[in-house]
Amino acid sequence: MTGLYTRVVQSYRQGSAGATGSPRVFITGVGVISSIGIGKQAFYASLRAGRTGLSKLGAFAAGDLGRDIAGEVKDFRAEDHMTHAEARNAGRCAHMAVAAARLATKDAAISDAALGGPRVAVVMGTTMGEGALLGDLEGAWIKSGEGAINRADIPRYGSTLLPIHVARALGVSGLVSTLPAACAAGNYAIGFGADLIRMGRADVVVCGAAELLQELQFAGFVRLAAMAKERCRPFDKNREGLILGEGAAVLVLESEAHAVRRNAAAQAEVLGMGLTCDGYHITRPHPDAAGSIEAMRQAIARSGITPDAVDFVNAHGTGTKANDVAETKVMHDVFAGRRVPISSMKSMLGHCMGAASALEAAGCVFTLETGVYPPTIGFETPDPECDVDVVANVAREGKADIILNNSLAFGGYNAVTCFSRPYKVPELGLPARDLS
Amino acid sequence: MTALRGAYGSMAVTGMSVLSAAGMGKDLFFAALVKGEPTRPSPVQDLHAFDAAAYDAPNIVEVKGFDPTVLLGDKGLRTLDRITKLLIVAARMCLHDAGFKVDGQWQKSEPTKVGFVCSNAYGSLEAITELDRVALLEDARYINPAKFPNTVSNSAAGYVSIWEDLRALNVSVSNGNPGALDAVGIAEVHLASGRADALITGGGEAMCEALFLAFKKLGALRSPGFCLGEGAAMVCLEPELSAESRGATILARVTGYGTHFAAPKDDALLHPSEEAMGTAIEQALESADVSAKDVDLVISGLSGLAPFDAAELGAIHGSIGRTANIFAPKKLVGESLGASGALALVAAVHARNGGGLGRMEAGHAVSRPRHVLVTSLGYYGNASALVTS
Repeated sequence: MTGLYTRVVQSYRQGSAGATGSPRVFITGVGVISSIGIGKQAFYASLRAGRTGLSKLGAFAAGDLGRDIAGEVKDFRAEDHMTHAEARNAGRCAHMAVAAARLATKDAAISDAALGGPRVAVVMGTTMGEGALLGDLEGAWIKSGEGAINRADIPRYGSTLLPIHVARALGVSGLVSTLPAACAAGNYAIGFGADLIRMGRADVVVCGAAELLQELQFAGFVRLAAMAKERCRPFDKNREGLILGEGAAVLVLESEAHAVRRNAAAQAEVLGMGLTCDGYHITRPHPDAAGSIEAMRQAIARSGITPDAVDFVNAHGTGTKANDVAETKVMHDVFAGRRVPISSMKSMLGHCMGAASALEAAGCVFTLETGVYPPTIGFETPDPECDVDVVANVAREGKADIILNNSLAFGGYNAVTCFSRPYKVPELGLPARDLS
Repeated sequence: MTALRGAYGSMAVTGMSVLSAAGMGKDLFFAALVKGEPTRPSPVQDLHAFDAAAYDAPNIVEVKGFDPTVLLGDKGLRTLDRITKLLIVAARMCLHDAGFKVDGQWQKSEPTKVGFVCSNAYGSLEAITELDRVALLEDARYINPAKFPNTVSNSAAGYVSIWEDLRALNVSVSNGNPGALDAVGIAEVHLASGRADALITGGGEAMCEALFLAFKKLGALRSPGFCLGEGAAMVCLEPELSAESRGATILARVTGYGTHFAAPKDDALLHPSEEAMGTAIEQALESADVSAKDVDLVISGLSGLAPFDAAELGAIHGSIGRTANIFAPKKLVGESLGASGALALVAAVHARNGGGLGRMEAGHAVSRPRHVLVTSLGYYGNASALVTS
């Protein structure tokens, strides 16, 4: 008889249990709902072209807030991706999550049979989940009293539901979990999904994140004085802050054995993840960036590589003064003077909150598949405080064997995931605890 | 017990904390378990989470005598919401109970080695309602930016890391009722991967008017035996050998975990799934390498909601047998949703170590049960289970 923890350590060391002993986790499908394209191909084309998804807000009236630009997904229609009953049961956040999951599983060419059963898991991240649905419920109650609340809408609210809707849509019956990790939620979901496969708890994990634009959230960022007026210009000297966005991105992760068995094409490989918490401030990154630096170092070490193997960093890059300076410190510290190219997709998409690092993970797959770094558009004036090699305005071709996806979040969360072209790293780090 | 040890040790419980309808602290919770009196709703005049005077006998219960200033002082609390205060107090109690801190000072460890994994289902509701009121009745330009972060689901967990200086990972999980059991499953992954030496793990849920209204409108508060509650509970989880090396007392071991989802055959959203609960139990027993006949006690999530209780009970009977000894802490301290699994786990450790249980749902209390199964059924077809040994 062995304890649960012991079994988990052993499976972590050995890789996917019952498989080939390989700890490799492959990305075999990508699904994207974004303001710069629905579906992987449209998204990729926009990343290559440096297309903006920012436009005048249409989802709600921003009133007198003085801001009305956002990365809104204006051409998304739930009914294009799900049945009427599925759409009726869910809010827009889950609609985007389910749509992205369906696109991802289609991209993975994985059968319904392979998605069924307890060895498939769904892990989703978000910041506020169905905020718009809650806004409607609260609006009715606050303005008109308890009697005005639509009873049928009550069970439709809750972040818990995001992976439930995805699991229902795909026929999954394994672990379902929501990790609300604010702006790092996508990395949390993907990194944890890879852990589940390495520990032998799942063969396939459908994971990602979703977020929608919502009035209270929009007003909150304006009140935090964090929102730019028209453009998000990460690392630019004259940057004014973030622009909010929305969307969803979902990846299909598979163990090597599962992917090989069904002859699936591996688009990329998930390497290590680093996780730390600043324990400093609820919204601001620590000025010395120690937690963020440690998270990136962990991700690199757990990938069995050294910093000089990293070709590109997909930045958190919000366009706020504090974030971009902190991220510059991370780059300087981790890479010790080597100017690793870095770029922020938020210049195109806006900050999609919980979905941001999932969309950026999809962007990482784009880079690994094409050898193209997406641009940071709107970059005009270098900032001495952000002395990094920004991929400015135009996509750049470059070496793309191993790349990092960096994210920071409210709560002081730091999460970094490392991705590579398949089999690029001969032996993964993946240190498990050794207490013997 | 040595048989439980592998080369790297088991996952040990080395500290606990509870804030419940019984009061602040695990001892008051244990006393309530021993006493076994059914949950009594808080009188309206004793409700502090919101102004309940307008409601006729609301069937809800709060953490009795909750006063965060006792442990936290009165500075810096003004912009924190109730869930944040509950979590910080519970985490501080747990860190001290586990011996990681004495009088607020770290002992034999450091902040970068200890993290936090926390379940919460609806924690940001209070803050969202407060800001929505300002936005809807006044103007969105007047919402308090200092309170805006509280509208984000993981904010309360983030504040715990700030207040308690926990700088290893911080993970929030929002899986409804089984969330705190899932938090243990998540903690185990991160401990095994070496990302932290110890993880304060559990869950919290705070009473607020919107949460009360949701359950009221759905008719749940009229269910016999059901009482909507709140609370927070934490356990300190660490590898057994690591705990031994720092001289910590091992209170119990978590040896099995299982979780499962089953979709309904129709379009219904709410889904009490006996199948999900049964599979989660079987997975938990299998991963613990424990046979059903060796489970001496089940700490269940039975709450008084008939369809869900029937499904959970059916699964327990199906997996453990119709003679299973079943206990239901929610019947004594209320339904605390995202916190409930953590309260159940603490109750399991209490029973495992010889603590009494005063009001069994079925069967009888066994002194020092060999293995205790903890079960929790979600509202949407998800279910999880743990085994403590």
